[in-house]
Amino acid sequence: MKVSVVRGGGLAGITTRTELSASALGEEDAHTFTEKVRAAGLREARPAGGGPSGPDRTLYEVVLDDSGSVVRSRFTDDDLPESVRRLVEWVDARPERSHTRER
Amino acid sequence: MPTTSTARRTPPRTPCSIAPPDLLARVARQGTPEQRDAALAALAASASMRTQRSLLSRMRLELGAETANLFAGLEGASPTRRQTVYDNESQGRSGLPGTRKRGEDDPPVDDASVNSAYDGTAATYDLLQQVFGRDSLDGAGMELISSVHYGVDFDNAFWNGAQMVYGDGSGQLFVKGALVQALDVVGHELFHGVTSFTADLTYSKQSGALNEHFSDVFGSLVKQRHLDQTVDEADWLIGAGTLVPSMGKALRSMSEPGTAYDGDRQPADMAHYVDLPDDNDPRNDNGGVHTNSGIPNRAFYLVATALGGHAWETAGAIWYRTVTERLGSLAQFSDAAAQTMDVASSFGDAERAAVEKAWREVGVLT
Ligand SMILES: [Zn+2]
Repeated sequence: MKVSVVRGGGLAGITTRTELSASALGEEDAHTFTEKVRAAGLREARPAGGGPSGPDRTLYEVVLDDSGSVVRSRFTDDDLPESVRRLVEWVDARPERSHTRER
Repeated sequence: MPTTSTARRTPPRTPCSIAPPDLLARVARQGTPEQRDAALAALAASASMRTQRSLLSRMRLELGAETANLFAGLEGASPTRRQTVYDNESQGRSGLPGTRKRGEDDPPVDDASVNSAYDGTAATYDLLQQVFGRDSLDGAGMELISSVHYGVDFDNAFWNGAQMVYGDGSGQLFVKGALVQALDVVGHELFHGVTSFTADLTYSKQSGALNEHFSDVFGSLVKQRHLDQTVDEADWLIGAGTLVPSMGKALRSMSEPGTAYDGDRQPADMAHYVDLPDDNDPRNDNGGVHTNSGIPNRAFYLVATALGGHAWETAGAIWYRTVTERLGSLAQFSDAAAQTMDVASSFGDAERAAVEKAWREVGVLT
């Protein structure tokens, strides 16, 4: 299982990608990761809303790849669900995650 | 007449209060100082409250700082800055605004982010009020609310339609604590509020890039005025020092778009316009709003440096009147060019020529 978080927009307009694979985690952390992913409800997330966002909102693309079953969801700072925010913050805080610029 | 304090100068009564406002405005522009004062007093006495406000703020822009005291007397009770800074304590959207930390008359507190938000908000309010005669973002004295320490290591700051939100930064993209310390970032974000109350430029493609552009212009002017810089002394950067140093020096360069950081794609002219779709993909940034803003940004820089002195005095005044009075929500670069040229005409031939030359140089006028 892998989660990728692409963030763009914001006041800078710079796009970054953060990724974390369960295979990079120890057994306990991998279990927590699975729980966080389940709680985020990405499979049930509604499609991105239409229309322009407000100025400088972070734009999120969260991709869950679970053994080849891929779910992609998009959000902004105005509609990012709390559960997804908690997952993103947890991924950000893991030393095993990768963080790169995206062109 | 609005109530004035006894300390303030009472405008002279004049017999010409039936003269049409445009005639009075012309006398105020072209007459002797005595004729000017009388004409302004007549304007204040004859026009309806609403007309008077808009006329007087226009005359204030045209006549400049030497008449500031006179305007304070004419416009009645002085506008009052009102602001409160909160600590979001990492709670994110559901925890806004957070715990109250500092109000308008409170002394500094033991939190640098709170104090930076307070100072940047004050500098922005003061530019709007003292230079452009605008009382807060809505022109009606609205209280300015800020929340710092938004979310966990949040790499962004924005005006959410009701208040300011500042993240601490992750140390991966933004230096921790840096966003709220950057006066031009604070001014940029707050000016999105002004735009939303005026031109309300749709945040997509060219109209979105103009929305970004006006925020960069007035964010930069907040910083330049705070530092009392002339156009030659200003760095013309947005958010200098906010990115981690390995990424670059700033978020944007108004003088040399495309040179602010490694991978900066901002074009300096229309020949290099980046046509991106507005499709919710974070990589496309609402159709390149932070990319193509480089084109009008450079036009403003060219006008300001051509006119010299303090950028907020003439170039800023032309741009302020354009965004607050002239543009509609779907305005394109060509509309901004046409309207800034038209507004510049009322400042003089040299001003109009400088604006036209700049828009030609960036390829918006051909
Ligand atoms: Zn912006």
